[in-house]
Amino acid sequence: MPFCLSRFLPPIIAMLLLLLFLFTGLLKIDHIKEKSDFLLSNMAFFFIPAGVKVVEHLELVSSIWLPFLIIVIVSTAAVLLVTAAAVTLVMKAGERRKTK
Amino acid sequence: MKEIICSSPFFGITVSIAAYSIGVMVNRKTRLALFNPLLVSYLIIIPLLLLFDIPLEWYDRGGDIINMFLSPATAVLAITIYRQRFLIKEHLAAVIAGTAAGSICSILLVLFLCRLFALPGTVTASLIPKSITTPLAIAVCDSLGGIQALTVLAVIVTGITGSIIAPPLIKLFRIRSEIAQGLAIGAASHAVGTSKAVEMGDVQGALSSVSLVMSGVITVLISIIFFS
Repeated sequence: MPFCLSRFLPPIIAMLLLLLFLFTGLLKIDHIKEKSDFLLSNMAFFFIPAGVKVVEHLELVSSIWLPFLIIVIVSTAAVLLVTAAAVTLVMKAGERRKTK
Repeated sequence: MKEIICSSPFFGITVSIAAYSIGVMVNRKTRLALFNPLLVSYLIIIPLLLLFDIPLEWYDRGGDIINMFLSPATAVLAITIYRQRFLIKEHLAAVIAGTAAGSICSILLVLFLCRLFALPGTVTASLIPKSITTPLAIAVCDSLGGIQALTVLAVIVTGITGSIIAPPLIKLFRIRSEIAQGLAIGAASHAVGTSKAVEMGDVQGALSSVSLVMSGVITVLISIIFFS
């Protein structure tokens, strides 16, 4: 199977389980607040090693840096505007339904 | 001597913590989005490894230990959703429509632009998840056969771009609704953008964090359905 589900599933299952426990009240937010807030506020730190691996691909990066930057900037702006437009449309439709 | 110091797991961990602390300090002092702590860390660690000719394998002995925390860090995102559950319920349609539209737009646009620039397939696979939060992006990249490090780089550059261009774009296109502002920033530029949204207001910050989780999950689902 080229599409390896096993890499996807552990973090997602953990997230869903945590959500389930919180909503059913098995786990109170106070139980995990301290540790999870630490993880959330320092999250960026845990991504350092994954990004440092880029030293193995410096040649690739230097050969594609311009299209890379263009793709990133253009798509970031587009996603921002498309999301805002979709939200505005849905909220306007919702308001119209309420006033009717 | 170099090998004794640098090949120990403590080397990678210590260097990472030191670089990140410097990054946080520089970011707080300058208050510039460009000096993102993660980016500063790379600008310290990568030249260090190259300059002293330290193999990545040595750094990774410590790096792999830090990597183990990626999954718990993802799981903790559930808490964001739980904390904002009333806000999500109130604006459910807007949250789902906005994040779905944003995720689909991101994937299609990246596919189109990569083809336009005739980039190799591995690069395309690495760039597809660029708008979502790092742990989920790494998972998507792995399953599509991309290069992890390139994905992480794209995700960080996206986050920094988003937090720089979001305020002027919001003004230019007159996006007045605070809900739309928050959801748009989260969908476009994940956690890095969210820190900007938090500065703009409580509503924007909360919805941006909801949006970053939702967009991540939707992008993962789309990759499972369409690319498997």
